[in-house]
This record gives sequence, structure tokens and C-alpha cells, in this order.
Amino acid sequence: MEYRLTRRIGGKGAAPHQFHEALRGVATGGGRVCVVGDAAVKVFSTEGDLLGQWATGLPGESVAVDGERRIWVGQRQRVEVFHPKGGLADTWRDPERLGLVTAIGFGGGDVFLADATARWIRRYDAKGRFRNNIGDRHRKGGFDIPNGVLDFAIDAQGVLHVANPGMHRVERYAADGTLLGHFGRFDGRDPSGFPGCCNPTNVTVDGTGRVIVSEKAGPRVKVYDPAGELVAVVADAAFDAGAKNMDLAVDSEGRIHVVDTVRLELCVFSPSGSEAAA
Amino acid sequence: MSQEHTRREVLGHAARGAALAGLGGITGLLWMKANATYAWSIDPARCIDSKLGAVGVEVCERCSTECVIALSAVRAVNEFSRCGRCYVCPAYFKITSAVGPDGLPSEKVCPRDAIKREPIGWIDADDPANNFYEYTIDEKLCNGCGRCVLQCKEPAGLGSIVLEVRHNACLDCNRCAIAQACPENAFERLPPVTPRP
Amino acid sequence: MSRLIPVGRALLLLLALDATPALAQQFQYERPVETAPTEKAIGQGYVTPKVQHPRPRAAVWQIVDVALLAVALGVAAWLALWRRQRGGLVAVSVACVAYFGFYREGCVCPIGATQNVAVALVDPAYAVPHYVIAIFVLPLAAALLFGRVFCAGVCPLGAIQELVTLRAVEVPARVDKALGALKWVYLGLAVYYAVLPAVDRDFVICRFDPFVGLFRFTGAAWLLMVGGAFLIAGAFVGRPYCRWLCPYGALLSAFSRYAWRSFSITPHRELDCGLCQGACPYGAIEERRAVRTACFACGRCYRSCPVHHADVKGGLAPALAPSSGAASGEP
Repeated sequence: MEYRLTRRIGGKGAAPHQFHEALRGVATGGGRVCVVGDAAVKVFSTEGDLLGQWATGLPGESVAVDGERRIWVGQRQRVEVFHPKGGLADTWRDPERLGLVTAIGFGGGDVFLADATARWIRRYDAKGRFRNNIGDRHRKGGFDIPNGVLDFAIDAQGVLHVANPGMHRVERYAADGTLLGHFGRFDGRDPSGFPGCCNPTNVTVDGTGRVIVSEKAGPRVKVYDPAGELVAVVADAAFDAGAKNMDLAVDSEGRIHVVDTVRLELCVFSPSGSEAAA
Repeated sequence: MSQEHTRREVLGHAARGAALAGLGGITGLLWMKANATYAWSIDPARCIDSKLGAVGVEVCERCSTECVIALSAVRAVNEFSRCGRCYVCPAYFKITSAVGPDGLPSEKVCPRDAIKREPIGWIDADDPANNFYEYTIDEKLCNGCGRCVLQCKEPAGLGSIVLEVRHNACLDCNRCAIAQACPENAFERLPPVTPRP
Repeated sequence: MSRLIPVGRALLLLLALDATPALAQQFQYERPVETAPTEKAIGQGYVTPKVQHPRPRAAVWQIVDVALLAVALGVAAWLALWRRQRGGLVAVSVACVAYFGFYREGCVCPIGATQNVAVALVDPAYAVPHYVIAIFVLPLAAALLFGRVFCAGVCPLGAIQELVTLRAVEVPARVDKALGALKWVYLGLAVYYAVLPAVDRDFVICRFDPFVGLFRFTGAAWLLMVGGAFLIAGAFVGRPYCRWLCPYGALLSAFSRYAWRSFSITPHRELDCGLCQGACPYGAIEERRAVRTACFACGRCYRSCPVHHADVKGGLAPALAPSSGAASGEP
């Protein structure tokens, strides 16, 4: 299975569609691509046209699009929810449980927020009531995230796939926090392993249950099948060598969107060959 | 004869007095001006082994080879509060080496084996990867070659290891041989008590 | 026209939602969280170890160094001029080689301190610590009082040359004087390079010290060979570096000219035998009279003097004695 870089969106600059300080998160939904960076949300079409942008209250660290196409932006100690066309719909705060929110996911009517300060994933119901933590049954002190970002994704069955960079693996959790399994191991040579001190840094899942991860220090993006076997290396030379914590998103057509945090651009990789038809 | 003697004596005394006065003058002048000892320090923002943004460079070993003392006064220092305590430390292990039976790389970065690795804190006996590890550099072995510093640099690591001049070993030469050889001009003379940011 | 409508809507959208870039620039993106694990996260009462940043040697040790220097100068003066004992002087030399040479690795030395003092006098932004001033001034003050006793028993560079002197040939006086001018040239060059502006400044005495590498067991190969060559030559020509090259020796020779107490040969007691002149490897006795500026107070002349030996046994006033100023035979 192979991927080609088909588009670069954004880049460093002063134009409206570009960024000048930081680019942190990407999410797809409803045929649109949302990115957060420079304390703003910018919405692009899949062709790369800027459809809209608005400011966020604080610099946004992560972004997600829910079933109603509202845009959730994770920030420091709060989450802001915007209507699809902009305009603040809601703000979630939880002083004891929300530090830096580096990932947002939705499953079974609940909202999952990754707190990178305390290093847990918190589960809330749709009204904002805290239900339980994810991950605290199997370790003390939180996920080991030396890179400062805790990332996870939820698949169609409601299973959370959490990137655990300190242990070089992707772990699967049920919504109530039960560890279901994990895959991945350290390997500095074999591409199916995770090299370096702390990889994978970010993770996302596509509609078929495949897991896509991004790594740093030798930045690259890889695709694993649901059993944990390496399916494809999407790109290992397309990013700036210093990029880390590259957020990922997959759209409905299987295109992978990767944030290059140094060049401040969104790289879009399309699958080539018959896979696109499947 | 005695007059000559006396004149010579007087001249001798006068010359001695003048020389003493001269010495005293120089001493006084410099004494008022004297300040605390300055010592050689390395700026981590300029040192190529720790400078951010210089990715993929070869290690610069001049801190270990140029010092006039047999074991260089420059050592690698791990700022523990900034260390990630990772299970697989890229400065300890050579992460591109083959993986051994325990799942860890088989080779180490330090050619003198100066880094010690120990699990710390709450220990998970079933899963060694679920533990934190402290990496301590033995200064009696480290010679400041900079390999661990280069591997710890971001993005691979967190950049907690830097090269530092150890003032209790440094002779504080007028003309630091390493400072002359440093390609990035990272050496400067600073009051040694100023902590580096 | 119908094609323009979607564009118009898109434009409206843009205008309605576009945030001014100025808002975004207020915020600083910093390193996301304290990425290193906290003590609480590591658990079990773990405490982050403090990183040691050792200070240079405490001031008290600098004072000890200066005090030891003063004591060594005093003891050397006493041994050379009052006890008139060569054995004691050799012992003091060996002790100073061990401490100032091997233990302190030859730094800070008065020879190099000449440069620092020169810079401090000229450059308002440069100052030397107190102990460096003391290290520079003390041997000169001792020279004013007792002659070149620093060279006699304290200077490690001199001591190792002193210890290898086997059979010194006598260098003709004119050659000696001509070569002796070299040390003033070296002094001038050292001061010149030291007082240059900081970017061009070069401490040439430190750079070209031929003996310090022997104390540190490491150094530039060519410089170690030069040091070795000096030592080999020193077996047959007494202390070539000290006599003809040492820039601090130039200052010491100037200061020791007016020494309060130093070597002299008392005319009314000497036997005109010339044994002392033959024994002196450094050409410090000419025409049976002491040349103070060249005398390294090594004490070999005492060993050869028959009157001195008689004195030691008989306790009469010696022929070779420290005398105040009324020395004969000055150059």
C-alpha cells in the first residue's frame, strides 16, 4: 500500500491561509479540514481552499469535529466548542482535571479529553459530567509522555487507541478504562518498531480500523492494521527533521493529514492504487 | 673610598626604594580593581552538540581532545529535572543498534561507559518498560566527548544533557586551548556563580 | 452570474469570520507542559537529585597557595644566604616542583602572571584576582630583598633544569650577555601580545611554555620535544631557559641588582683561588666577584669554597656572605 504527498496546505507566512507561530492540531469532518494554530481555527476544504477562520480564546492545542459538526478546540485548562461556522457555543472547564488538553475524541455519546498535565484521559458525558479516567488502573502517575503531548483516537467500536511513547506502543482501552491490548515495541532498525526514546507521538484511526501513527526524530508516519502489523510507511522524508508531536487526521476518503510543526504546514497524503477504491 | 661607598649605598637604597614603590604602586592599582575569579563556561546555545536546530551533525569532540589536562575539565552533565527518565534513552543506548533479547538496544553510546542506568521511584516488576530510569554520568570516567549530548538533543531527546566546564578541574588557563579550537565560539569567561538558564 | 453566487457567499463567510491577525500575536506558544516527569509521578519518595556545579577552588586555597609561595621564598632565602646549604635548597626545589608543578599543574605561575598584570594595567575592563597579583609581586619583592631566590628554590621550571645540570661548560661572557638580551625581547613580545585588544590578545608565555607539558603529562608534541631538548642541553649548559629566555627572569635580574642582601665575595677574605668561579654553572661569578643579576642562589659556590668550609668548622666570619649593598663586581 502506498501513499503520495498530494498537497501542502498552509505554510509559514502572513497570508490568511498561512501560520506564523505554531500549528498544533488537525481534524476532519463533514468534508472539511480544521486546523488550530496561532490561537485561531482555520477551516479548509479538501482542496486546500480557506473556507473560514476565527480566533480562539487561548492558543489551541488540539481540535476535533463531533457528530454535529461542531468544532472542539482543546486549550490550557479548558475546551472551547464552536459552531460549524464559527461562534462560541460552549466552554468546558474542570480545574482539577483539565490541564493542557492535547487530544479530544467522541464515542458512545461521551466526550474524551486527554489531559497532558496530569497525563490521564478523562471521560465526560455529553453534558460535561466527569465519568472516569482512562489508564489509571494499569500504572501510577500517568502515561509516560516525555514529549508533553498525550494523543489518542477512538474507532468506530468506541475503543480508544492511545499512543504511549514512553513504552513504545499503542494501547487499546475500553471506555471504562479497561486495558484491552497493545501492540508495538521498541526497534531502532525495523520499520515496524518504534525507534528513539519516545515514539509514537500521535495516533489516529481510520474507518476500517487501521491505526496511523506519527513519530519524531526521523519523523515519519506509518499505518498499522488492526492486528498491529505494519501496512505502510506513509512518509519518512516529507517533514522537517526537527518536527515532533505531529497531529494526524484521516478523512472519509482515506487521505491522511499530517501537521508539520516546524514548517507550519499541513501535508496531505493520498493512497495510490486500488486501495482508494476499497 | 668611604664616600664612594656611601654614594653607592645611597644610590642602592634609592633604587631599592624606587623599585619597592613601583611594586607597591602596581599592587595598589590592581588590588583596587581586582574582581572575583572569572572562569571558562560553555554556552549550550552555541555548542554544536547541544545547539537546537543543528540536526544530523557529526559529534564535535574537541572538548575532550583539546584540553591541556589529561582528563578534560569539560564533562557531560545531566540536568535531572529536565530529563525524561525514559526506558530507552537515546543518549545511553545506541538506538540504531540491533535489539537484544530483552527488547533493548545492544550497544551503548558512551565509549567509556560513563553513564549509569537505574530504575527509580515506583517499580512495576512485571513490565520494565513501565518504569522510570535515572541516568547518571560518572564524572571520573566522562571525558566530555559529547556523544551523549548530541543524542539527547531535541528532537531525539529532551536536551537535558549539556557539556559543562567543571571548575574544580579546570585550570582556568589564560588561553583556553578548547576555546581556541571551538568551531562555534561557545566558550566565554563568566563569573562561575551565574547559573546558566 | 449564477457562478458568482457561491463565490460571493464564500467571500461573505470569509469577511464575517476572519479574525484580525493581531489577536493571535498576543499569545506566546511555549513548551507545552513540563515534559520531564515530576517527582510525584515517579513516586516512592523519589527526589530529583541536585546537579552539582562545582565552584573553582575556594578562596582559602588561593590564600594557601600564596602563603606557601611566601614561605618557600623565605625558606629559600634563609637556606641560601644564612645557612648556605645546597642540600636544603635542593629539598625546597623538589617540594616546590611537587606542589606547584605537579599538583597545581603549573598554573598560576608568576611568569604567566606578567601578562595578566600587563593587561590589567592597560585594559579597564580586565582585572586580575588578588592572589594573581600576590603571585606576581612576591618573587619580585623577594628579589629586591634577597636576590633571585625565586629561581633558587621555588620556580618549578627552574628547579627541573637545576636538577639536570651535570657538567656545565662555561659560556663566554660576551655570548652570555648577547643571549641574555633575548629574555628582554621575549618579555617585550609577551607584554605586546597581552595588551592587544581582547580579540587579538594572545598569551604567548602560556602558549610556548616548554616545561609545563612535563608537569601535566600531556601537551603539544613539538613543545614537549622542545622542553626535552632544553633539559638535555641543560645537562651541559646551565639552565639555558632561565638565563636567556625567561621573561620573568628579566624582571628578576633587574630587581635583584638592588637586592638588600645577596651574594657577594668579601675581598679581604677570599683566597683568589677561583674555585667558586669554576663551580658556578651559571656564570654568576666573574673575576672572582659575584654578578648578582645572574646568580641563581644555587649554593654550589659554597660547596667549593675552602674558606667557607673552614668557617663552618671554625666559626669565623665567612668569605662568602650576604652583605648589604656593598658588593663588588657589579656588571
